[in-house]
Amino acid sequence: MNVAITPAMVGQVVISGILAGALYSMVALGLALIFGVMRVINIAHGPLLMLGAYTTFFLHSLFGLNPYLSVPVTMAVLFVVGVVLQRTLVFRVVDAPELSSLLLTFGISIGLVNLAQLAFTSDLRAVEYLTGSFPLGPFAVSKPRLVAFVFAAGVTGLAFLFLRGTRLGKAIRATSQSREVAMVCGVDVQRVHMLTFGFASALAAAGGALIAVIVAIQPEMGQIWTFKSFLVIVLGGAGNYPGALLGGMLLGLVEQGAALFLTTQLSEVVAYVLLVVVLLVRPTGLLGGRQT
Amino acid sequence: MLLAALAVYPALGTGYGVRAMLQIFMWIALAGSWNLISGLTGYVSFGHVAFFGAGAYTGAILVAKADWPWLAAALAGGVGACAVALVIGYPCLRLKGPYFAIAMLGLNEVLRALVSYFEGLTGGGSGLSLPTLHATVPIYYAMAATAGGVTLLTYAIITSRFGLRLMTIREDELAAEAMGIDTARHKLYAFLLSAVGPGIAGALAARDQGYIEPVSVFPLATTITMIVMVLFGGKGTVWGPVLGAVALFVAQEFVWARFPYVHQLLFGAIIVAVVLLMPRGVLGILQIRYRLPRTI
Amino acid sequence: MTIKTLGAVLVAAAVLAASLPAGAQGPIRVGASMSLTGTYAKLGNYQHEGYKLCAKQINDKGGLLGRKVEFVVYDDQSTPATAVRLYEKLITEDKVDALMGPYSSPVTEASANVTEKYKKVMVTPLAATTSIFKKGRKYIFMVISPAEVYLEGLVDMAAKRGLKTVAVVYEDTLFAKASAVGAVDLAKKRGMEVVFQEGYPKGNQDFSGMLTKIKAANPDVLAASTYFDDAIAITRQMKELNVNPKMYGVTVGGDLPEFYNLLKQNAEYITGATQWEAALPYPGNTEFAGAYKKEFGREPVYHSAAGYAGCTVWAEAVRRAGSLDSEKVRETLLKLDTKTAFGGFKVDADGFQTAHKMVTTQWQDGKKVIVWPDELATGKLRFPTPPWNQR
Repeated sequence: MNVAITPAMVGQVVISGILAGALYSMVALGLALIFGVMRVINIAHGPLLMLGAYTTFFLHSLFGLNPYLSVPVTMAVLFVVGVVLQRTLVFRVVDAPELSSLLLTFGISIGLVNLAQLAFTSDLRAVEYLTGSFPLGPFAVSKPRLVAFVFAAGVTGLAFLFLRGTRLGKAIRATSQSREVAMVCGVDVQRVHMLTFGFASALAAAGGALIAVIVAIQPEMGQIWTFKSFLVIVLGGAGNYPGALLGGMLLGLVEQGAALFLTTQLSEVVAYVLLVVVLLVRPTGLLGGRQT
Repeated sequence: MLLAALAVYPALGTGYGVRAMLQIFMWIALAGSWNLISGLTGYVSFGHVAFFGAGAYTGAILVAKADWPWLAAALAGGVGACAVALVIGYPCLRLKGPYFAIAMLGLNEVLRALVSYFEGLTGGGSGLSLPTLHATVPIYYAMAATAGGVTLLTYAIITSRFGLRLMTIREDELAAEAMGIDTARHKLYAFLLSAVGPGIAGALAARDQGYIEPVSVFPLATTITMIVMVLFGGKGTVWGPVLGAVALFVAQEFVWARFPYVHQLLFGAIIVAVVLLMPRGVLGILQIRYRLPRTI
Repeated sequence: MTIKTLGAVLVAAAVLAASLPAGAQGPIRVGASMSLTGTYAKLGNYQHEGYKLCAKQINDKGGLLGRKVEFVVYDDQSTPATAVRLYEKLITEDKVDALMGPYSSPVTEASANVTEKYKKVMVTPLAATTSIFKKGRKYIFMVISPAEVYLEGLVDMAAKRGLKTVAVVYEDTLFAKASAVGAVDLAKKRGMEVVFQEGYPKGNQDFSGMLTKIKAANPDVLAASTYFDDAIAITRQMKELNVNPKMYGVTVGGDLPEFYNLLKQNAEYITGATQWEAALPYPGNTEFAGAYKKEFGREPVYHSAAGYAGCTVWAEAVRRAGSLDSEKVRETLLKLDTKTAFGGFKVDADGFQTAHKMVTTQWQDGKKVIVWPDELATGKLRFPTPPWNQR
């Protein structure tokens, strides 16, 4: 309705957008890795994030573990889940047409959500640990989101160091450049696929652990993150890992900006229209990626 | 004989039986239409429910705001969906592989959000309620005709030169272009044809149900169900979508009534099983094993 | 041709299997489509438990018209299209003796078309949208107060305390929007100014853009027409953005025990609207709450009580009519004027509820206190709401 937009409001929204954007970047980096290395669009990415959130919730409520300290534990747990999923199901569709991988991961996604519903019920859960904000001039900076931002930036930074600096990281990057060349160079591609899926699941799980402190946890919380991650990797360029960082920030800002200047309803539309426009105008993403 | 049985069924069956058959026809029309674009050209329309929703809203708006008779509104639903397909298809069919799939997924969400936003016309998130009409039996025949029409159309295309060109695009688009096929135009025609069936079916379903809302006419799950039906029956075949629609609907209806808390889980398992164990579908397997003609 | 035959066999098998013969003079079979899974699963299950308790109590007391009462329930996955098919199945295949309503306004809106077609009475305990009952339907009966008055308590209390400006936000769905529109009308009638109004899509998780605008509009009152998860998210993000209206109330969700469990002290001062509370002095209310807890091991919420009351009212009408005949039960329901554990029941000629009253609650030191209307209040409203860090 008619609320005059002031610079302070724009500033507030930029803060919110950047804080949200870091989480988007981290979670979407996982999706980008899987797509880059295996050419699989993983629809189960969001549900894996949901499992991460539940893991943190139970570690907190049953064992009293600090939710932020639980991040590495949750990542480790979901790394294993990811590896198991890859070894049992996903590896079968790595070379299949995209329809197979889309459907298979959708099937996995339904499975995970409904198993969670049976196991944890659809009651909302929350990790009530850190709430509220601290003032920064005319702005309010959300405490849990700021901490999530710091963690997400840290995890993403480590992920990039890992990709650049370690043998395995280099193998992952090599495989996503060209599987054939990687194989010729002696990379065990099967193993790289498996570890990449585990690694990507761990990134989703880190997102789940961090937003467990921010939003309520329920079995269906993940789907929206699958969609957002799609947006991010398309904006940044599928298979382009630094692009995921840019895409995440951009999505955060665009969503928040649209909600401010237009309405909350239209913020979704703007994000998806942006997706389609970027696909059409620059199918390789804003930073340029690899076209199939 | 089967046609005769289906024609007299409304006189003999119960209200539920008629409605269940109506649903089967609807799924045949939806699955058959998805098969037209994705089964034949290989372009995965991952947001095909958008045309169902577009048809549902076109038809419902004409009924609610302009008092159109339901049959005319249903045809208009087909036209409306086709118009949406034109707007989407013209630019998006240039995208390849997973990019097209994601774009379709996104466009379905855009359409849903836009329908929610323009509430003056669509009723917004509160939905659109239509005047009560007891016409399940005539709508049954209309839906049957739609399902039959889509299936006949599939047969006509598969046996035509147009169909052969589409399948050439599916196998190798570059080669198709090299052969002088205007791929862009062929893909667009197939895409437009694939939107008509869902459009009409959407308008009919909306009229029969009497109430629609954005969340329930644009769900991703409907797209997935169409795809799984086609995959189960055999994609790129004439009768595969029919077989898949009947089999999956019957299975779901049984599971639904008996195991409410696990039926989604079973649906997930069916998807995984179909993808991993029988990617060619029942008819695809039969075609290879018994050397059946390509045109079943 | 073989494929055609196979298809025909499958269809025939389906239809045959679905049409199992219905017993002639066994128990009274009451059919209902329930949201056991899907979006409304949580509240739909509460309603289902209300039905179950009602049937059990009738049977313990010797049944209805000398027959036992038995529910036939299917899961509609919270979708209108499925519910339509299930009611058709209950009526034409299972040939149930009576029907009870599903959960939620959208599902009821679609299902009522079927029940009207067969002229079957359906008491719909959890449909609160006025328009459902005001389009000439003859056989549906409303139990709860309409959506439009959910925020009446909040607006009334605010007006009495001289507050001038209000912001209204809502989930953009049938029921929530109707309740927001109702709140806007009520506020205008009381001379308050609506300074901000915005809907958000179902399932929305991020409210910071909207809340930033609300913070700038600086309303005295924030009225949120919510389901449950959105109420939690809005509240948390208000604290994150330090949005501090003098009064803040939600509709559905604010009354649930989970609301406090999830938000802890941040739920303090927030008002919720509810159709029913265990503490209300209605006939048989304490007994109902006790029996419910014993049966299901958890406290009832208003959705349970509404389901229970809807079924009780229907049974009472059958008893008075002495028959299950749809027309006779309808006549009786139209004339019925009674009080159940859920409060008053009386409908106008459209089946629209006129006797039931809503209450407004507020969280005070972890307890839910009824603060409106005055004649039912168990405590006083704490006002104004202090800043977030002092709650």
